[in-house]
Amino acid sequence: MEILSARKLKKYYGEGDSLVKALDGVDLSVEQGEFVAVVGSSGSGKSTLLHMLGGLDVPTSGSVRAAGHELSKLSENELAVFRRRKIGFVFQDYNLLPLLNVYENIVLPTQLDGRKPDRAFVEELLKRLGLADKQEALPGCLSGGQQQRVAIARALAAKPAILLADEPTGNLDTRTSQEVLGLLKAANEYDSQTIVMITHNPEIAQLAGRIIRIEDGKIYNNPNQRRENMQVKV
Amino acid sequence: MWKEYSSNYIKNNRSSSLTVMIAAFISALLLSLLCGLFYNAWKYEVERIELEEGSWHSRIIGELSAEDMETIKNFANVEDAVVNEKGQKETEPTVDIYFSDKKAVFSDMPHIAEQLGIPQERIVYNYELLAMYLIRDASDTAPRLLFPLFILITAAASFSLIIIIHNSFAVSMNQRIHQFGIFSSIGATPKQIRACLLQEAAALCAGPVITGDLLGIAGSAGLINLSNSVLGSDVPGRHAAVFGYHPLVLVLTLLVTILTIWISAWLPARRLSRLTPLEAIKNTGEFQLKRRKNSRLLSLLFGIEGELAGNALKAQRKALRTASLSLLFSFLAFALMQCFFSLSQISTRETYFERYQDVWDIMITVKDTDADSFEETASIQALDGIKSAIVYQKASAKRIIAEEEMSEDMKSFGGFAQAPANYVSQVEGGWLVNVPIVIMDDQSFSAYCEQLGIAPRLDGAVVLNQIRDVTNPDFRHPVFMPYIKTPDADENAVSVLRQSGDHKETPSGHTSVPSGDHKETPSGHTSISSGDNKETPPGHTSMSSGDNKEIPSGNHKETTAEVPVLSYTQEVPVLREEYATLDYYELVHFIPVSLWKEIKGQIGGMEEDSYICVRGRDDVTLEELNTIQDKIAQLVEGKYTIEQENRIQEYETNNRQIQGMTAIFGSFCILLAVIGIGNVFSNTFGFVRQRKREFARYMSVGLTPKELKKMFCTEALVIAGRPVLISLPIVVAAIGFMLKASYMEAGVFLAEAPYVPIFLFMLAILACVALAYYLAWRNVRKISLAEVLRDDTMI
Repeated sequence: MEILSARKLKKYYGEGDSLVKALDGVDLSVEQGEFVAVVGSSGSGKSTLLHMLGGLDVPTSGSVRAAGHELSKLSENELAVFRRRKIGFVFQDYNLLPLLNVYENIVLPTQLDGRKPDRAFVEELLKRLGLADKQEALPGCLSGGQQQRVAIARALAAKPAILLADEPTGNLDTRTSQEVLGLLKAANEYDSQTIVMITHNPEIAQLAGRIIRIEDGKIYNNPNQRRENMQVKV
Repeated sequence: MWKEYSSNYIKNNRSSSLTVMIAAFISALLLSLLCGLFYNAWKYEVERIELEEGSWHSRIIGELSAEDMETIKNFANVEDAVVNEKGQKETEPTVDIYFSDKKAVFSDMPHIAEQLGIPQERIVYNYELLAMYLIRDASDTAPRLLFPLFILITAAASFSLIIIIHNSFAVSMNQRIHQFGIFSSIGATPKQIRACLLQEAAALCAGPVITGDLLGIAGSAGLINLSNSVLGSDVPGRHAAVFGYHPLVLVLTLLVTILTIWISAWLPARRLSRLTPLEAIKNTGEFQLKRRKNSRLLSLLFGIEGELAGNALKAQRKALRTASLSLLFSFLAFALMQCFFSLSQISTRETYFERYQDVWDIMITVKDTDADSFEETASIQALDGIKSAIVYQKASAKRIIAEEEMSEDMKSFGGFAQAPANYVSQVEGGWLVNVPIVIMDDQSFSAYCEQLGIAPRLDGAVVLNQIRDVTNPDFRHPVFMPYIKTPDADENAVSVLRQSGDHKETPSGHTSVPSGDHKETPSGHTSISSGDNKETPPGHTSMSSGDNKEIPSGNHKETTAEVPVLSYTQEVPVLREEYATLDYYELVHFIPVSLWKEIKGQIGGMEEDSYICVRGRDDVTLEELNTIQDKIAQLVEGKYTIEQENRIQEYETNNRQIQGMTAIFGSFCILLAVIGIGNVFSNTFGFVRQRKREFARYMSVGLTPKELKKMFCTEALVIAGRPVLISLPIVVAAIGFMLKASYMEAGVFLAEAPYVPIFLFMLAILACVALAYYLAWRNVRKISLAEVLRDDTMI
């Protein structure tokens, strides 16, 4: 079942000679429970694509449909509600809130939605991520790896339909990267979490069920072609 | 390179530049205003001393020869020496000496005295004047703190401004830590960075400083004129303040302003230049928390947005310190000032204007004139539009009250047991108390007698027979009771008055009384006199020279006068007088001027001036009173020197003075609030830079714009509401204290409490903070989530 799709997605910046086509007619479809890696060189438009898919940015033209919502038809408020209910973001720079502790960061989307956080689920999540003893810590007191794990926990805590990860290991060392990727993989395998991950590293991309290559704002391989075998060990 | 960089930065960051410029302008304006006002206050004080004491620096008492004068003038630091015929206490001649170098006065004068061969005791210094130039000597023990106080306040103001405005510089500079980290990494020295920042501060502040200083001078001139017209216009004999400005004050003001601003800019610049390149590059300018503490109240009231707002406010605590302090102090000062003036206005109205509303319209002081020699009484009383005009004079005497004379009520609260020794002294046969005598013109006295229901007579006194319950300190609601026993109707009472001179203290501390006869009056009243106490039948004038006796008392003779008492009453004549305000034990006597003529030789003690208490018709207008005043002035013109007071005019002046004071203090409160509001604006202007990542993160996890707006509103409400919440209990406590001290009922104050101005001030603060947050909100809405979240280095 298709959970995420983009049709003729375009995002242009500037005009005339300085026109930059960050995305130039992208078509994409992601099935529920799929783990998709988007690869491409720096400036290829992969982050822009992710932001469009998550409703963080508005396309110049084209449409995005995610978890049954046509994003272009949502108001600013509805888009924010959509994000907190349906999307979990993991950023390269973690983007944790420095003013909130680990637990508060994780439950924030749930609280914003007016729901009571599922404490048992969050604690289980924290245990799985090795952060059980860091609940009260402020993000500034954690290592990069720990912060990224908190970011993953936050993304998963609201049980989103789609998890969007933008270079989640970009700031981490190899060992910590492997840990983080293992967590994403586990979420996909055991919880059937749909994941779209951006990376510039082809080796990391091998972890995904499908790899999409993007260059100059265009997708170059068959967006519907799935890899049958995953050979990367984590 | 730095020049280009700085000018580009200033051009491209108008909002933070504007904040710095506003901070510089306000500090320059405040400091210039303060310096201008202090200089004029100092100048006024110097002028006052020179008018009252003279402008001499030192003087030698006694006459000196021409040769001595020459010797004095030959001293290098002496500018001039002048013979003053009425120098010391207007009787003794002196030589007034003026120094070119005032500092030399205390070192040169002893040499001068030595050369002239005169004792040091004959040298007098104008300590008060010299202290105004900060020239002091150990021999002058008076505090004379006025000038040092000016300097202290200016220093304190500068220090406060440094604390307040350095924040604006800090916000502006902190926004660029990352950039300076890059500069530092490529080799810029801390000194270069510091110089760049200070150069920017100088470029930004030059214009505002000059404008602020000039406006401050204009403001101080305006305030001096205002104080002249509002505060001192009706004070007779007041030396009017003339605005002046010395170029040195301008130089000093500029120096103080520049120094204040320089320190304010230097503090954050130094901190910034001390960061290592790595620290600076890593710095994103975001607010951070060292420790988390839940904002339970905000969370409870406003939900998760309240919790987030609480966190943000805690993180911004340092940045908002100026705003918090300024707004707190401004609101507190404004509320206290409003309450104080309201309370004072109610009190003045109740205890003065309302209490004396019906007893006077015009009060005239006839200078250096006795009531018995004032010849225009009848003419004034006959003037059109006058209901009554009582000419009176006050005198003081003493009399003894014996134990058996005291009323039962008075005895019930202990008699004279609680009487202070400076007012009442125990003497042989009783207690010697003060007797204020009000000498009324005969016609008015007769009218007073009729008012009391007794046959008008001009040979006796009416005694105000009331004493306040001294055990009840409530001056607003005093309880009066009879002072002395009232004699039976068929008894003739007399009051023996004696001179109000010094009485010799006996070794036991009691006042010695003359050895006169101690005789019981038929009414049981004790009167002490050396002569026989005649019993006078009603309607019979008993005063004669035979009643007045001289009593030898130690080294001086004391005389008494025996005055028949026509009535003991608790009803006073309609005069603008208060009785027994300080000395609760005084026994007031009202007597006609005819009787005074008879006894004044024995009693004496009259005041220099006489008074005329004039009442116009009911509902008299100010114009009518002015007309009456003119007529009276015409009548007495050339014969007497008079000073006139007009009740309606005084009421209006009093209101104007309170309004003027409120306006002046209110302006300072507003200025203080402006600093706080400025800080809030400077902080919110920096939101796009400092908090865009915070907002973007909130929004990325699903915070809706509406919720973000709620968070902003909560922050604004806390910033504006906190000063109010902190101030309110303090104001309530202060009002409670003031009400208790003034014995005013809370209900009376609450009915007229200044709710509206305080509420408007509160509303104005809230509106300004809300505006600052609204503008910030508009800016924040423009940020691109994707851009902010993608890039954390391009701050």
